[in-house]
Amino acid sequence: MRLINRPLAALLSLAVITVGVLIIIEVAADRIVNHPALIHWHRVYDWAQRTSWTQGSVRVGSILIVILGVVLLLAELRRGKPQRLPVDSEVTDAAYTRRGVAATIRGAVNDVDGINHSTVTVKRRKITVSATTAGRQPYTAQSLREPATEAARHRLDTLALTPAPTLSVRVTTRSR
Amino acid sequence: MHADRTNRAMLILFALLLIAVGLIGALTSFGAFGVPVEHAHLFANPVGVYVGHHGVWLWPVIAAAGLVVALLALRWLAGLLFSTDRAGDIRLPGDRSAGRTTLLPAALTDAITEEIRSYPGVQSATARLIGDATSPDLVIETALEESADLSALRHRIETNAVTHARQALDNPHLPVILNLTVSDRHTRTLT
Repeated sequence: MRLINRPLAALLSLAVITVGVLIIIEVAADRIVNHPALIHWHRVYDWAQRTSWTQGSVRVGSILIVILGVVLLLAELRRGKPQRLPVDSEVTDAAYTRRGVAATIRGAVNDVDGINHSTVTVKRRKITVSATTAGRQPYTAQSLREPATEAARHRLDTLALTPAPTLSVRVTTRSR
Repeated sequence: MHADRTNRAMLILFALLLIAVGLIGALTSFGAFGVPVEHAHLFANPVGVYVGHHGVWLWPVIAAAGLVVALLALRWLAGLLFSTDRAGDIRLPGDRSAGRTTLLPAALTDAITEEIRSYPGVQSATARLIGDATSPDLVIETALEESADLSALRHRIETNAVTHARQALDNPHLPVILNLTVSDRHTRTLT
């Protein structure tokens, strides 16, 4: 979200600067030469004088503005995926990155004999591992669930994350 | 970036403003404030009438407010584009009778990263000092190898490199933000 916020913030600040400068110019022009300088605001004024609130364009415009505001507000208030997961440390403000946690748990699960591939999703309070077996005997999904869970659990414990996220491991047999 | 909080706050404020303006427009146009208001023209309301009657002094005031807001937005934009959160040169405490000692942030961060990179199991490391030079924060970003003992490595960074940084700044309580990542391995495929 931060990466989207930066260009949005730049656009918004530019818009505010532009509007502020335009107001100053137009007020000054009106006082000095009694004529619009850059914006023909008289047309806007005339349009507003003859347009009622019931006009369709006003209704549609108002609703669109509300929708835009709500979308922007929800996007800003939404808690995204955590960028860093804090570690239990009294010495520093230490944390593992989300990608780092995913990588190390993925590595631990992939080291289990019979696991062919795994994907790890790290959220603030939950880590989900989806592993697939090679699809051949004797590595069945059921028999590998426990060792895969144990490997992920052990690796998660060594990270000493606080609060410790819950772990969910799902092992499936690869479809042919 | 240190401007991120400001960006978020301003965008939330803008969103609330949009919602307020849109809601007032929508409620008015759908008759929430009564049929006479609903069928009135856009400027035929108390605010429009007030502005119309007091335009002589009100517009210059609005222009002055526009100037203030534009200047604030300009400062915000400048902060967004040009400013940095990096700390400046750090004056070390101690006896100044024979002169004062100034530490360049790069001297410390280079030494710290060199030390951390020398640890087995560390793939890369960067460090920077942020905030005010009188009370900086040290930020360390380090990538660890997936096969390394992550817990032991973190402990080593904290007890050695971080301690050395605190000693160098003569600040045992130097705030340190340690961001650890783990290098990714390609998934193993059984053959």
